Amino acid sequence: MKAATQEAQREKPRAGLPIGRLTWINVTKDLRLEWRSRDVFNSMMFFALVVVVVFSFSFEREDSRPVMGGLIWVAFLFSTTMALNQSWARELRNGVLDAYRVSPAPAEALFLGKCIGNFILVMLLECLMAPLFVVFYNLSSVGPLWQLLLVAVLGTWALVVNGTFFAAMSIRTRNRELMLPLLLLPISLPAVISMVTGTTQVLSGEGSPAVQLQFLAGFCVIFTVACFLLFDTVLNAE
Amino acid sequence: MKTKLFFAFAAFCCLFLAFGTYQGLVVAPTEETMGNVQRIFYVHVPAATVGFTLFFVNFLASIYYLWKRSLRADALAATTAEVGVVFCTVVLITGPIWARYAWGTWWSTWDMRLNTTLMLWLLYVSYLVLRRSSTAGSTSVLAASLAIFAFLDVPIVYMANRWFKTHHPPPMIGTSNLDPSMQHILFINMLAFLCFGSLICWFRYEMERTAQKIDAAHIQKAAGGAAAMMLLPAAFFATPGHIAPISYLWAGYLAAWGIYVSYLLFLMRKLAKLKKEAAELGAG
Repeated sequence: MKAATQEAQREKPRAGLPIGRLTWINVTKDLRLEWRSRDVFNSMMFFALVVVVVFSFSFEREDSRPVMGGLIWVAFLFSTTMALNQSWARELRNGVLDAYRVSPAPAEALFLGKCIGNFILVMLLECLMAPLFVVFYNLSSVGPLWQLLLVAVLGTWALVVNGTFFAAMSIRTRNRELMLPLLLLPISLPAVISMVTGTTQVLSGEGSPAVQLQFLAGFCVIFTVACFLLFDTVLNAE
Repeated sequence: MKTKLFFAFAAFCCLFLAFGTYQGLVVAPTEETMGNVQRIFYVHVPAATVGFTLFFVNFLASIYYLWKRSLRADALAATTAEVGVVFCTVVLITGPIWARYAWGTWWSTWDMRLNTTLMLWLLYVSYLVLRRSSTAGSTSVLAASLAIFAFLDVPIVYMANRWFKTHHPPPMIGTSNLDPSMQHILFINMLAFLCFGSLICWFRYEMERTAQKIDAAHIQKAAGGAAAMMLLPAAFFATPGHIAPISYLWAGYLAAWGIYVSYLLFLMRKLAKLKKEAAELGAG
């Protein structure tokens, strides 16, 4: 049975549309759905806001720069986890995911589409939250801002690419939403460590984040490739 | 035949381990600066070696499973992950005991080597959790994919000592930093623990196969070290000055063996349960 499905998968004719176009369709579909309902974005935004406020009450200190990297990324990490769970839960309703599995479109396009959609959402969240951090912690960067931006982009991609993959895995388990943080956090720990270190280095101007950026770039490449290779297997695991 | 071979191997392991432990505790020369506490080294390093080896076997078995969908490979992957977690627990408990004496602190927060080892442990615990909580049909495929992801982190762990600044002593096997007689004894202990690891794996693998045969995947978390870990916080509040150095050594050995023995007891209990179930179903 399993072998037969496998065989069918392999011989599945490729869709007429090129993968790039299909990915684009997936991205626009996700964003349009999100724009109309805004349920994920609103809850994600509010959650991040609450975390910032709670942190600002919990850590009162003169110079918050040394802990800022950690605070920023913890807030984003948790709100990203929320968004990721919802992004696949949406596909479960009305059996959309099953329909996708039997369609001849390559699974990679679905995965890439989801990743880009989530990436745009999380980047948007980060752009909106940044002023809040500045307000609540009286924050200003000592190092150049473009480095901070680079850390944010690479770090967000690292989180989103792994997160999208593991969210797809965790919706296949019994306790869906609970599984994602359990799987995602240990896997992305190396990336989180270098995101936090890099951010703190730029904010406090102590040392160059070059090593962290290289590490993050390597991490992104390795895990993006791994996600691409294994996504089809995970999507069709029965 | 198989049973006889198993018991012969078990007896051999016991003798080998006893010999290795004797060598480590009595024969090995005392280290100049750390004194007797340094002897924790002979349980810490071999446990790390066995843990990493088992995670590597888990990675290979997972790839083979995704390729051929062989149930044996899946059983091997489940076995090696669980036993690997037990050995990794020993590493993570004996390490801080030694560090409390040598560095004066249990854990060094920004030490990459320590963090990455802890991360590996977390990864394989999440692997075991996934095995437990995924729906029956998809367990093996999902677990195998996660295992591949988890193993991608191992090179990072391995290279952490070389890439990042760390307090952790660098690997010393085959270098002139280590006294030849210590090297020799470490090597004996490594071999002994590798034998011990494969013995437990053999045992666990047979159980996993039985579980597969009676179509009941009883994969449970390898919380073998729970008892030892519960005892540990009691020592947290004591200052190093009030504790004789030798107690660190005993704590290290007791923790390590406590974990191994409780894991074995856990397996025995599980085996009894499986046997009962197999008898009820008339399978196995």
